[in-house]
Amino acid sequence: MTIENIIEVKDLSKTYKVSERDSGFKAAVASFFKRKFKDVKAVDHVHFSIRPGEMVGFLGPNGAGKTTTLKMLSGLLNPTFGHAKVMGYTPWELRGEYLSAITLIMGQRNRLSWDIPAADSFLLNQAIYRIGDIEYKQTMRELDELLELGDVVKKPVRNLSLGERMKCELAAGLIHRPSVLFLDEPTIGLDITAQARIREFLREYNRRYNATIILTSHYMADVTALCERVILIHHGKLMYDGALAELSRKIAPFKVIGVGLENAADYDLTGYGERTVGENGDAMVYLRVPAEQATSVTSRLLAELPIHDITIADPPIESVIEQAFQG
Amino acid sequence: MLKIYKNFWLVNWAEQWQYRANLLMYLFYWLVSPIIYLAVWTSIANSKGDVKGYTANDFITYYLLLLVVDQITSNIVIHILADKIMDGAISSEIIKPVHPVLTSTLVYNVAFKALNFIGFLPIWVALNFLFKPNYAAITWQNILLAVPFLIAGFAISFLISAVITSVAFWTTRVYSIHEFYFALVVLFSGQFVPLTLMPEMIQSIARYLPFQLMIYFPIELLLGRLAPGEILHGVGLAVFWFTFAVVAFKIVWKRGLKQYSAVGA
Repeated sequence: MTIENIIEVKDLSKTYKVSERDSGFKAAVASFFKRKFKDVKAVDHVHFSIRPGEMVGFLGPNGAGKTTTLKMLSGLLNPTFGHAKVMGYTPWELRGEYLSAITLIMGQRNRLSWDIPAADSFLLNQAIYRIGDIEYKQTMRELDELLELGDVVKKPVRNLSLGERMKCELAAGLIHRPSVLFLDEPTIGLDITAQARIREFLREYNRRYNATIILTSHYMADVTALCERVILIHHGKLMYDGALAELSRKIAPFKVIGVGLENAADYDLTGYGERTVGENGDAMVYLRVPAEQATSVTSRLLAELPIHDITIADPPIESVIEQAFQG
Repeated sequence: MLKIYKNFWLVNWAEQWQYRANLLMYLFYWLVSPIIYLAVWTSIANSKGDVKGYTANDFITYYLLLLVVDQITSNIVIHILADKIMDGAISSEIIKPVHPVLTSTLVYNVAFKALNFIGFLPIWVALNFLFKPNYAAITWQNILLAVPFLIAGFAISFLISAVITSVAFWTTRVYSIHEFYFALVVLFSGQFVPLTLMPEMIQSIARYLPFQLMIYFPIELLLGRLAPGEILHGVGLAVFWFTFAVVAFKIVWKRGLKQYSAVGA
């Protein structure tokens, strides 16, 4: 690896063998004797490199391979094919020095013990990562100041709210001051205020320690707030790697207008925008419209059609990404 | 490294202390069969005078010591580890710079034992009042000699169970495999009856298996019933099976990690 890149990934691939069978008793018996396997390419020849101190957003719909990539980079998974070097180490060799310099934090998974206060888990991590008392105290002070932990760490984890728990998870994962952070959905399930605080914290952590951060998120806001650069993965393949600004210009400026309309089939809506699928399969009809035309199309719709309900929204991230690679 | 174990201990102790009622139930469950064997064999020996040279007192001392020895050498690795592997909870431990099984799992198991022992001790004292064993055969030398064997017995049983539990990286059927293994332990360790009362064939197989190191061998050692040649055989057996278990565990764990799919997370 070159000195300027802290992470280098080349041809990284992961194929899962998934056993599959039809439902029902007969299929269950059959699969007991002869199991059928299907290869699922979760990550398919992905390559990129990242410089120290960069904050990069991993985007892609569910099952795109984001989490699998993070798991390989943190050393949890062995790839089926390809190479990765992080700080000069091959992650899945699980070298102690490597593991002491990284962290993997997953919003959907807690690693703190439920039954004891987070502070006890912090002490355990202090011992595991062999952090001296003075350094530990200083780090804890800084984390406390950044995350406003306060007395939260003294309560058993099971009694914490989701937001409080996530703060503790972050603190637990950062006690050893890792220089590379892999964050998988760090703000999932949190309310807007808590999300904003976590974002603020990550930005500050990055600034203070020049830490390299790779994060995945379903919330576009996380990515737009934190990352100048995004990597898009779709069906395991790398689809885009570059500036976020470039991407929004590229995919774009679309709005989705939902209209509630009796007997929608009777009307020809092609003149207003392209029909698209709604988020929750309700009775609304959805139209994709270039952003700058959103207001004019809306007023035309209201004026010309017997509409009883209307919504205007940004397209969901999944469809933004789909869009990016279809057109 | 000591500090790591100390802190693991503090966390595990605090955690398990909250489940002490649960532990007590487990303890009662575990006590049932040895006490039944004890009662049955003692009454048989009483009515016949002895069974193949085993008097009533021999049975009483054997089973009462068995309770202590089994407390020390048994393990609950599969209950600590198997689910964590199958549901992916082990992930966060794998990417820490210490070995999860040799730190977290081991300390959890030892803390479990320690807590169990607190509940076990009064029951054991009560059983001694009830059955009035004669422990004249136990000397300080025997106890000192038995200590390293008890440690080895636990180490071997812990590692073998860790090997079997690691099969969870490949299949979700690991509990049934472990059940089968446990049946072997009961048969060949002396947990059911002292091995000398077993059929010749079983005895000659048990002689080379690791299981007697977990129950029969330390008990007989404590009771001073082993000739120097047999003790030496025990040393060889312990060294061989310990080495075997270490190597097997290293290989299986490494391969298991390669196979690991980190489900969920």
